Amino acid sequence: MKLYEFEGNDLLRREGIPVPDYALAATPEEAREGAEALGLPVVVKAQVLTGGRWLAGGVQTAYSLEQVEEAARRILGTSIRGWLVQQVMITPKVDSVREFYLAVTIDEYHGTPVAVLSAAGGVSVNRIALERPEEVASRHVSVIKGLLPSEARRMCRGVGLRGAEVSRVANMLSALYHVFRNYDALIAEINPLVRTPEGDYLALDAKVEIDDDSLYRHPELNLSLDSRIPSLLERQGREIGVSYVELDGDIAIIASGAGLGMASMDIIGRSMSPANFLETGGAITAELLYNVMDLVLRKEGIRAVFINVYGGINPIHEGAKGVVRYMKEHEVTIPVVAKALGNHQEETWEIFRNNGVHVVNDVSTEKGVEQLARLLEGGK
Amino acid sequence: MSILLNRKTKVLVQGITGRIGRVQTRWMLDYGTNIVAGVTPGKGGQEVEGVPVYDTVAEAVAKQGAEASVFFIPPKSFKEAALQSIDAGISLIVVITEHVPVHDVMEIREYASEREVRIIGPTTPGIITVGEAKMGIMPSNMFTPGRIGVISRSGTLSYEISINLATAGLGQSTVVGMGADSVVFASIPELLRLFERDEDTDLVVIVGEVGGVQEENAAQFIDRWMTKPVVTYIAGHNVPEGKRMGHAGAIIQGEHGMGIPQSKMAALREVGVDVAMYPAEVVELVKWHLTPS
Repeated sequence: MKLYEFEGNDLLRREGIPVPDYALAATPEEAREGAEALGLPVVVKAQVLTGGRWLAGGVQTAYSLEQVEEAARRILGTSIRGWLVQQVMITPKVDSVREFYLAVTIDEYHGTPVAVLSAAGGVSVNRIALERPEEVASRHVSVIKGLLPSEARRMCRGVGLRGAEVSRVANMLSALYHVFRNYDALIAEINPLVRTPEGDYLALDAKVEIDDDSLYRHPELNLSLDSRIPSLLERQGREIGVSYVELDGDIAIIASGAGLGMASMDIIGRSMSPANFLETGGAITAELLYNVMDLVLRKEGIRAVFINVYGGINPIHEGAKGVVRYMKEHEVTIPVVAKALGNHQEETWEIFRNNGVHVVNDVSTEKGVEQLARLLEGGK
Repeated sequence: MSILLNRKTKVLVQGITGRIGRVQTRWMLDYGTNIVAGVTPGKGGQEVEGVPVYDTVAEAVAKQGAEASVFFIPPKSFKEAALQSIDAGISLIVVITEHVPVHDVMEIREYASEREVRIIGPTTPGIITVGEAKMGIMPSNMFTPGRIGVISRSGTLSYEISINLATAGLGQSTVVGMGADSVVFASIPELLRLFERDEDTDLVVIVGEVGGVQEENAAQFIDRWMTKPVVTYIAGHNVPEGKRMGHAGAIIQGEHGMGIPQSKMAALREVGVDVAMYPAEVVELVKWHLTPS
């Protein structure tokens, strides 16, 4: 789960990383009040769960209270890369003499944390890594030993830091590593960390994403899902316990695994257009598939439903009961085509066949999709 | 021979007394798997499907000689269960469990790297050595004995590919689900190395998907080390950027499009791997390779 900048700031502060004070505002008036309390000049920043805020005009500096209101008015309610801006963060404008990039994330292939430091903050670290690799230090960290102070200092010296700056930045990197570990983060990033003319160090932007599978051990974060998934249907999918991704087309897909769901998309995409990706995971029940039918049919203009399930861990015969109960109760008239194989396949076919679901008589998804296409053509 | 697992392997089931553990134990036994013990803390002394249950892995190893363990445990228990197994000398662990915290996976990965143990998963359907034994949840009727090795990041697609191969008369030696998380224990190259050495495997099918760099690393390995033919299908040709497609590992990230299927396909084609555009095409490509010219 991605955190908003202000939430990330709070985590950094808890681990001892200095961050500027801030106020949150949902209206221009609140923004004005926030700026008054903090003192001018301030920066008004859109709170959205995506990068690219600068380019989209979502970060603006204001030198008067009128400018604060004006900036908030311009930013609130706009959309940045598909995310509606509902809140802005007001924070004092900070001067900097030097900027740094710090991150701790996961090298997925090697399955280990990796710490990254660059002496050129504020810009895309990927670009710097390509253009000026000598300015970026990264190293794998032993998850058992943690990031040792000596390692952090070596990274600082590696990107050209000298003197007192070495231990100051190394301390920040160690603290960031603690944020990463203590909150089960997938990434904890500060971009930029600045040194002010007074010699203080401040984290001016925080990007933190927490592992969804670890949220149960972080009730203290008190995170609500509501604003974090922009699509209503995707949010509802998550609430009923499936993974749903909204797409542009009109053929609904229900798959019992992610790979099968993506393959179904690939195949349907050749001649038709998928309305969604949906994967049930391994917890199919009659009730779940009832809810899943309801979910995929909420989208407007669905022409057919393609069900692709395997009975491995999933009792697909139970799932079939949920599908047909939904169809009966809601008088579903569009074609529903099901390919169902594995444990309890015969029982599943029978339930489907007796209730108007077209069962695929083949082991390949391609043949199932061909059958679906024929049904749609015949129905014209 | 096959890889990782055979009919003699002495298998332990961790989480055997749970709802899923019980059912799957029955089905694994029916398939011929040599299950010697189960473990559930606090349930020692019970029996499930005639299999003795112990409180700890150490007991199961001491009393029944268990050497491989399959996990049907809740994600919260993963770390403890894995530490117990590793310390008791289990040499193969198969983690069926979904939703294991990724930091726990990293910790066990590092702990295991200093010891003689191979771990598959998490979020895997498991391993089946066809006609001999299975550690996992795959439906047995999808597989037929033969000489094709299958490595799949997706469980359901490993079934789809196997039943399609089987229907065309092409059986499998061992089918391994890699696990669908962003961090998994065994890599594709590691498994390719086992299949390359295996006398019972003539060809390997890799079923990949969007996200990560497993397939790119597989391409490098194939280029240097593989003499057996490899056929692949990568799922998710047109997935939107930044969306997790069910699996934690199935995501295209960032402006550089890390994890896009097209770059995986290109990397594999470059080293001579045949890339199927759709699952059923895998069957055609495999046939072509195995037809004597």
